[in-house]
Amino acid sequence: MTVAPETAGNDAVARAAALVDLGLRACEAYGRPDLAARLESVQSGLADPAVHVVVVGEFKKGKSSLVNALVGANACPVDDDVATAVPTYVRHGEQASAELIVEGSPPRRETVALEELHSRVIERDPAGAASGADEELALAGAEVRLPRTLLSSGLVLVDTPGVGGLGSAHAAASLAAASMASALVFVTDASQELTRSELDFLHKAREMCGTVACVLTKIDFYPHWRRIRDLDAEHLREHADVPCIPVSSRLRSAAAEAGDSQLNTESGYPALVSFLTEHVGASAAHRVAADAAADVAAVCTQLEAQFEAERAALADPAEARRVVSELTAVKERIANLKSTAAKWNQTLSDGITDLNSDVEHDLRRRIRTVIAEADDVIEESDPADTWTEMETWLRSRVSHELLANYTLLRDRATALGEEVGEHFREASCDVLDRIAVPDPELQLAGARVEHKIELQKMKVGKQAMVALKSAYSGAIMFVMLGTLTGVTLGPIALGIGLVMGGKGLRDEKKRQRANRQKQAQNAVRRYCDEVSFVMGKDSKDTLRTIQRQLRDHYTALAEELDRSNAQALQRASDATSHTQDERDRRLADIDAELGRLRQLRERAMEVVG
Amino acid sequence: MIAPAHGETSGQGAPATLLDDARGVLDAAVPVYAGTGDAARLAEIRRRLDEPLRVAVAGRVKAGKSTLLNALAGERLAPTDAGECTRIVTWYRDGHTYRVMAYPAEGEPRQLSFDREGGAIEVHLDGLAAESLASLEVTWPSQALRAATLIDTPGIGSLSEQSARRSWDLLAPAEDETPADAVLYLLRHLHSSDLEFLRAFHDTEVSQPNPVNAIGILSRADELGVGRLDAMDSARTIACRMATEQNVRRVVQTVLPIAGLLAETAATVTEAEVAQLRRVAEVPVREADELLLSADRFAQRMPELGLTSIEREGLLDRFGLFGLRLATTLLRHKAVSTATELAGELAERSGIGQLRDVLASLFFERRDVLKSRSALLALDALLRARPRPGSDRVCMEVERILASAHPFQELRVLSAVRAGWVTGRDVVLGELEQIIGGGGGALHQRLECPPQARTQELASAASEALQRWQRRAENPMTPHELAVAARVAVRSCEGMLVELGWGR
Repeated sequence: MTVAPETAGNDAVARAAALVDLGLRACEAYGRPDLAARLESVQSGLADPAVHVVVVGEFKKGKSSLVNALVGANACPVDDDVATAVPTYVRHGEQASAELIVEGSPPRRETVALEELHSRVIERDPAGAASGADEELALAGAEVRLPRTLLSSGLVLVDTPGVGGLGSAHAAASLAAASMASALVFVTDASQELTRSELDFLHKAREMCGTVACVLTKIDFYPHWRRIRDLDAEHLREHADVPCIPVSSRLRSAAAEAGDSQLNTESGYPALVSFLTEHVGASAAHRVAADAAADVAAVCTQLEAQFEAERAALADPAEARRVVSELTAVKERIANLKSTAAKWNQTLSDGITDLNSDVEHDLRRRIRTVIAEADDVIEESDPADTWTEMETWLRSRVSHELLANYTLLRDRATALGEEVGEHFREASCDVLDRIAVPDPELQLAGARVEHKIELQKMKVGKQAMVALKSAYSGAIMFVMLGTLTGVTLGPIALGIGLVMGGKGLRDEKKRQRANRQKQAQNAVRRYCDEVSFVMGKDSKDTLRTIQRQLRDHYTALAEELDRSNAQALQRASDATSHTQDERDRRLADIDAELGRLRQLRERAMEVVG
Repeated sequence: MIAPAHGETSGQGAPATLLDDARGVLDAAVPVYAGTGDAARLAEIRRRLDEPLRVAVAGRVKAGKSTLLNALAGERLAPTDAGECTRIVTWYRDGHTYRVMAYPAEGEPRQLSFDREGGAIEVHLDGLAAESLASLEVTWPSQALRAATLIDTPGIGSLSEQSARRSWDLLAPAEDETPADAVLYLLRHLHSSDLEFLRAFHDTEVSQPNPVNAIGILSRADELGVGRLDAMDSARTIACRMATEQNVRRVVQTVLPIAGLLAETAATVTEAEVAQLRRVAEVPVREADELLLSADRFAQRMPELGLTSIEREGLLDRFGLFGLRLATTLLRHKAVSTATELAGELAERSGIGQLRDVLASLFFERRDVLKSRSALLALDALLRARPRPGSDRVCMEVERILASAHPFQELRVLSAVRAGWVTGRDVVLGELEQIIGGGGGALHQRLECPPQARTQELASAASEALQRWQRRAENPMTPHELAVAARVAVRSCEGMLVELGWGR
């Protein structure tokens, strides 16, 4: 793992990594490959925390220049005219390299030279995908790896296509991306104050993503940038925690060229860099470290439980029989916990079924509203005039409804994950208590049990989000919307004869118009049908993935418990056959092991905070 | 000045009679509505025919509308500011006295006081709330305003809903008549709401968006390259590309790049300012580049220049960073030395000259057609909304003129071609567009001859075109729409031949 110097976040990550190492060694020593596997996955997560920062904003506001100036390289193509067409992911790598992500399932990757990226990524036809005649591969994104200290802590900068007004489908995609990201950088420039649609976008983004910063670009060029900054700050006053950072990419590049640190300060970038590393990077690193430490602590608890059971059996041979029978009973409880009849499992399958029908109903209701609105619009206008705009309108309207539908799915799935986790925790804590403290004398360890509960709780909420993220892996919503752009309204027969001459001009026009309206309404229905079909399948698949992942996750936890219990049982039975001498020696060993484990757990708890 | 050559030197004979037709039918409507509440409105429509063309400047908020208006007027009239500035629709028209009138949404108009200290006209609202005003009317004796009444509008996408609403009301009112005859639409980069807005501005007379009365302007063009000296070239390429896009072609005739601030300053640059610029130009190149690296640096560095901070800020406001870089480079290389020369050079580079040419050929030469069209549409709307005994006959007459007058047919064909409803080979469609006046109404423009072409050459070009289009119109393989369009082209050719004195 590469560690960026002197940031608090990286420190925490390093400490967590050391703990995970210790935990792994313990698992090996005590013969628990299952627990080791869990820690190994934690370890790889720590090595690449992938803190996504999504850079969004209107067209031509200098988003790509901003990313380039941040990393000091031409990672994102910049052009006066054409705008960025696909998201570009800029992340850390030992060597500079670039890859194109080509649409498909699974998305294909194609390595290209960094210099070639320019011609491959920028939009060829900024008028929009309307022409659609592009026979080239459909790009889903590009990934650039650069050896930069800024990125080494796992920061991934995502340069997105301009949102082109809040209403556009792109805006919905950017918002969906933001919901998965650690932070969102909203780019506006110093040429004018924030517009209505920009502010609306910010409001929505604020709901989707916890950390948002507003960056004011091009301050070298506009003498009145301070006025604009103050006006923007005024517009942003209800979002007091959204900082407004004025920067100049041009000055930053010039500073880098000349090695002029004063110019760099003038460029305003140091403030942005510190926001990214200290605020975003550090908080994400802390979160990742805390999660990892929590896993270590949970592993410790299980290991401790089995030692404590052995200890109880060893300390008092009379008790041994009772311990064994107690643990045998626990075995049955764990079997129950693993079975489909377990409460958490019931909650999960019922919850998913409910969620499936609720999400579908919600989608239907939304699409119906859209159709009704579209009908009204068509009634009032002539499709011959409005058809092109209609298509854009419909697409963005639908994508916003889809986004809302997806938000519902996300929130409900997270809630369900929490509920399932809660049920599992209740049952498993009960079991853990029984494994660990069969001796009433040790009930004083109650305080420690409380700790365990806290730990479990922390892991609970996250699980559904993890499942969701992997269900929507990669280019996230962009890809999903990408599949929808394949669905088009299609042309309607305009039937416009050029009507010339005096009589009947108006009547003929009226008749043609009615005909076009009918066609348009049908086309809208076909489109919406197609969209509901695609989206319906998509959410069903997502929910299925979530269900599977949650089930696998908790089943694996139950397996771990089973294994802990089996080992405890084994040792307790062995204890009965030991001689007094062996017992004393073993007791001393166990106390030492327990001491070590306790220490490890306490250190883990410190990182958890 | 945007004034076209004076007099009725339009490209063909028809528009004059069209204007007469429009006058005739309006006169016929007057007795029908005499004594009703609509008489005043009718009189206003009638008056409009004899007034200058009304050109509205519209666009998204902060697109540079007021700046462009000042550039066209040749003097600083409309106030401009870094923040959102224009909040009330303001009419600038020619007149004998200097006067500002406020038209409240309800109630009587009243005269307002104003001053002009900072260059632009500062209107004192005298306690009137900006929200309560429908519009302001500034009467200002000016050569430029004699050719066209200019209308400044609040930007759409404004944070104050009220201001944006006013522009919608002006350009796309609920009733059929639009107060403006033509519109300059300022785009900073093509944006979905721009198209929506433009579409709404166009009437549905031929049930399609109409590119005949709108020109797209890629404004603040100097900012596209964030101040590089070749920014305008880059902007020109972008404008050309935008003008060929189907979506854009449907709603505007063409797209031109304009550096509005440069154009405005070019019209008003003073010797004092040139003297200040000269001091910057005398600094060695490297140091000057350092100084002009950012606006902040220019405002604060190099005290030895002997410019006060007020002077520096003044220069930044008037020229912008791009203008400063350009002007000092020009002065350093001795390309210009006086204020007049600098003004000429800046105007040339700002794109305002090209805009004036295009305005002249697309709007002013067609002004009678545009005005008659506005008036007839307004009358049509009135006749339909308030039928009265005798209005049927007038109504039929209006419909007859709208449907059959040749200039209107040309406009209809033009918008149909632009909307992609007339199909054919690109080269044929391109020629069709020219013939019916899509690239300008003058004969040499229609016939794609050089401007200095003699009558003889024009006449032979016209008769060749006539034969070509007759063949196309009669060819049974020609699609129906193209055949109809070809017949219109044939009439255009005939009209041109008549004008050239060839008869048939």
